[in-house]
Amino acid sequence: MEVLILILRSFANVVVVLALAPLFEGLLRKVTARIQSRQGPPLLQPYYDLLKLLGKEDIESGESPWMQRFAVHLALATVLTVACLIPLGAPVPLAGAGDIILLVYLLTLAGICTLLAGLAAGSTFSLIGISREMITMIALEPLFAITLIIGAVNTGTFRLETVLDGSVYAGGGVPWSGLLMLAVMLLSFQAFVQRVPFDIAEAETEIMEGPLIEYSGPKLAVFKYAQMVRLVIYSSLFVALFIPWGSHLVFPIGWLLFWAKVLVLVLLVTLVAATHARYRIDQALRYYGGLVGVSFVALVLAGFGY
Amino acid sequence: MTGFTTPEHAVLGAIVLCLGGAVFTLFIDHRRRVAGWVSFGVILTTAALVGGAVAGVLRHGPGPGVTFLSLPPLGFALRLYVDGLSAVFLALIAVVSVPAAFHAIDYMTSHRPRSAGRFYPHLLVFIAAMLGLVSTTDMMWFFFIFWQMMTLTGWAMIRYERSCPGHRQAAARFLWMMQFACAVTMLGAAMLAQDGLETVAGTELMRFDFDAVAHHMPALLAGHPGWVAVALTLFLTGFGIKLGMWPFGQFWLPDAHPAAPSPVSALLSGVMLKTGVYGLMRYFLWLVPSEVRADYPIGGWGLAFLFLGTLTLFTGTFRALQQEQSKRLLAFSSIGQAGYILFGLGVCLVLLGEGTPATGALAGIALTGALFHTLNHGVFKSLLFLDAGAVLHATGTQDMNKLGGLQRHMPVTGFTALVGSLAIAGVPLLSGYASKWPMFTAALQGTAASRWLPVCGAVAVLTSALTLALMMKFYGAIFLSRTSRLVEERRQALGRLEVSRKMRTAQVILATLCVAAGLLPFLGFAFVSRALAMSPHGLATAPDTIGPVTASAAGLVAATNTAVYAPLLLLALMLGLFALVRLLARAGGSSQRAAAPWLCGYAVETDANRLRAAHYYTELHRAVGRLHPAAGRLPAVEPRPQNPNEKPASAWSLEKNSTC
Repeated sequence: MEVLILILRSFANVVVVLALAPLFEGLLRKVTARIQSRQGPPLLQPYYDLLKLLGKEDIESGESPWMQRFAVHLALATVLTVACLIPLGAPVPLAGAGDIILLVYLLTLAGICTLLAGLAAGSTFSLIGISREMITMIALEPLFAITLIIGAVNTGTFRLETVLDGSVYAGGGVPWSGLLMLAVMLLSFQAFVQRVPFDIAEAETEIMEGPLIEYSGPKLAVFKYAQMVRLVIYSSLFVALFIPWGSHLVFPIGWLLFWAKVLVLVLLVTLVAATHARYRIDQALRYYGGLVGVSFVALVLAGFGY
Repeated sequence: MTGFTTPEHAVLGAIVLCLGGAVFTLFIDHRRRVAGWVSFGVILTTAALVGGAVAGVLRHGPGPGVTFLSLPPLGFALRLYVDGLSAVFLALIAVVSVPAAFHAIDYMTSHRPRSAGRFYPHLLVFIAAMLGLVSTTDMMWFFFIFWQMMTLTGWAMIRYERSCPGHRQAAARFLWMMQFACAVTMLGAAMLAQDGLETVAGTELMRFDFDAVAHHMPALLAGHPGWVAVALTLFLTGFGIKLGMWPFGQFWLPDAHPAAPSPVSALLSGVMLKTGVYGLMRYFLWLVPSEVRADYPIGGWGLAFLFLGTLTLFTGTFRALQQEQSKRLLAFSSIGQAGYILFGLGVCLVLLGEGTPATGALAGIALTGALFHTLNHGVFKSLLFLDAGAVLHATGTQDMNKLGGLQRHMPVTGFTALVGSLAIAGVPLLSGYASKWPMFTAALQGTAASRWLPVCGAVAVLTSALTLALMMKFYGAIFLSRTSRLVEERRQALGRLEVSRKMRTAQVILATLCVAAGLLPFLGFAFVSRALAMSPHGLATAPDTIGPVTASAAGLVAATNTAVYAPLLLLALMLGLFALVRLLARAGGSSQRAAAPWLCGYAVETDANRLRAAHYYTELHRAVGRLHPAAGRLPAVEPRPQNPNEKPASAWSLEKNSTC
């Protein structure tokens, strides 16, 4: 019985994420258009896009079609796995499967899938894209990992249900390290969700979506879907870590409050994305370098109990 | 457990067998294939004997040790002692050397710069020496003998292809670094040894025997703590050189490993480095009896290990990222992974220094993780070296700039290389994650013992992304991206590029081990925990630090109940979701078609505008170059030929079967 409930709750998370991700994307596109004084596509356009792509011809141009299929499918499967390991307005469904270390590595695996897909496509554009993607991952992974580590240092545990519940502020006194990380994560959040000004790996106006350039039809649909889910997953993680208040209220209220916070975060992402120009990779790297330095300072502060 | 059935007899039997095999293969050096099969047979039998010894120790616990030969006037005794710690390393030697020897049969048959008599005898003596080194208790003479057996044969195998530029220098540097390490370690032993015969627990021991030295340790620690510290520093230096510790590793390791024939590179990196790990663990955790733990500044040593380990893992991995030669990249990455092991050991020592039950349990987790990582690294790094060897064998080059697109032509090699690459990068469900997980758990939860633990732990997590980057470069540049001209020419000349069935078998066996250790890590944890329980007298093997992780098929749970990992559940979940995604992708019923890549409609892709290994991550190297000019210098790329059909000046020729 308990197992059945666990399965149902995991499935519910997967379904919610799959259902809501294109809606957030549609909202993002609509709001961006309004900010830029355009009419913009209908709110449901991403759903139509996905449906259309699923039926389009699938052209494989890489050296290893087997790897192209595997990487693309695994990309979406991995982000959906992560969806079962984080709280989406309700307690973590599969807290027994792993801890925060697993979370860090699973999110890395989602990045690896993009890399493998780009490498397998083998076009020079996609290789430039994956080289940039990898550099971004090197810089961003420590930021996210250090946030979780600060939570672990504060609470003394790696358990997902404890750490993903505002643990960055649990140090006692004024949570300097948590506030510092909040600033760092806000400043780097666009990069985590791969939006302007940090969508350097895709950069459709210069390297034509980099890793995605050789993908079409259902593979492109799955890939795009994975990116939309990624936006929801990272926003949810951000909310769980930094804006935990109210998540424990009774079911519909807590749940609604959670998704309202995610919505606000997505709108913030949209606002930044619509009003900024893309950075070059070397500029971005310098920027990330500074943030990594600050996050190490935050980690040392957390070690001293601040 | 008497007579000839003790583990020590089995190990001695294995050593003698290897030495006998070495003499035999010397006489059949004109029959390459036969010599290969003989050496494989000898190593397989050796592995069976060693496996029996390991099983015996794990089942019945260690015996008192067996003295086979002694010359009291010289303080010279061949006394072997196999306990759980030795058993772990013996098992590693057995598990890695069998596939490596199997791979060597075909590799050495078609690859013949020199006679087989200059290879197989050395290989067998090399393995015998490592078996001896992890089971002898003589800290002076037999340590010297086994160390020299290992070093001299290693030197000979590294300069096997001595006509290649740089290989002789690489071998010479290896030789001198190892001689220095040997001298330093022996000096340390001489400082600690006391005069006269000693009778400990009913056994008469020579002055340089490990147990005799341990017996005198309390008095020495009480009277001359500085003296002991100097000796331990010497041990740290000696064994640190062996395992590639910063700053010594970069002097010999990245030159020596690529120069050797690939099966030997696999053994050098997978196993030989680990004798340094063994030495450090044995001398720092087992030499001081637990009664006088208070006099032994174990936490201070732990911090030294922690910082050296963190420096080693970061610098090794970062240097690896800049390499363009496949085996050289793997060699630098071995430094990085040795750094992880050193880091795990440091975490263990720091936590032991704190001495509370909670930190004791975490120390146990760290040591278990370090030992498990030792085993796992042995497997995946030797796998990667065998794969790099297979590519070298098929294409004649280890320059990743000239390679590309081999996944299509060498599917098995490519697939096993992918498994190895993902395992070393710590992807969940594979072995690297299973052994990094306990080390991170201990480091990041040990704030009580030292505030440096989470900081160094965060550096280790960050380096894990660098490891991923370098393995993606390795796998991507060789097996994916675009088929290079070299690969195309080679394929047309040879017909097929995939290596022989024997070589593939060796690779598949090691890849299977990576997957098995990742999916069923509880077996590895059970093995290491049992081994630690069967290693009495160690500081980290007190009852409260044994079995710190509850391991079962359902998953791993740290004894502190603060960390959990359930690979089989995760596998089921991911498989289910993967199937769901596949279903979704096929729901539209779209048709598939193959086509050439799109290059904006006008460019023709040639070898000249391929993105090569040298061009990966250039921005990162430039950014670091601003901080440190030497490290950030862009790698030299050979000038592009003017005419795309013209071969570059340094073109490799098909006739020459050289692997320089």
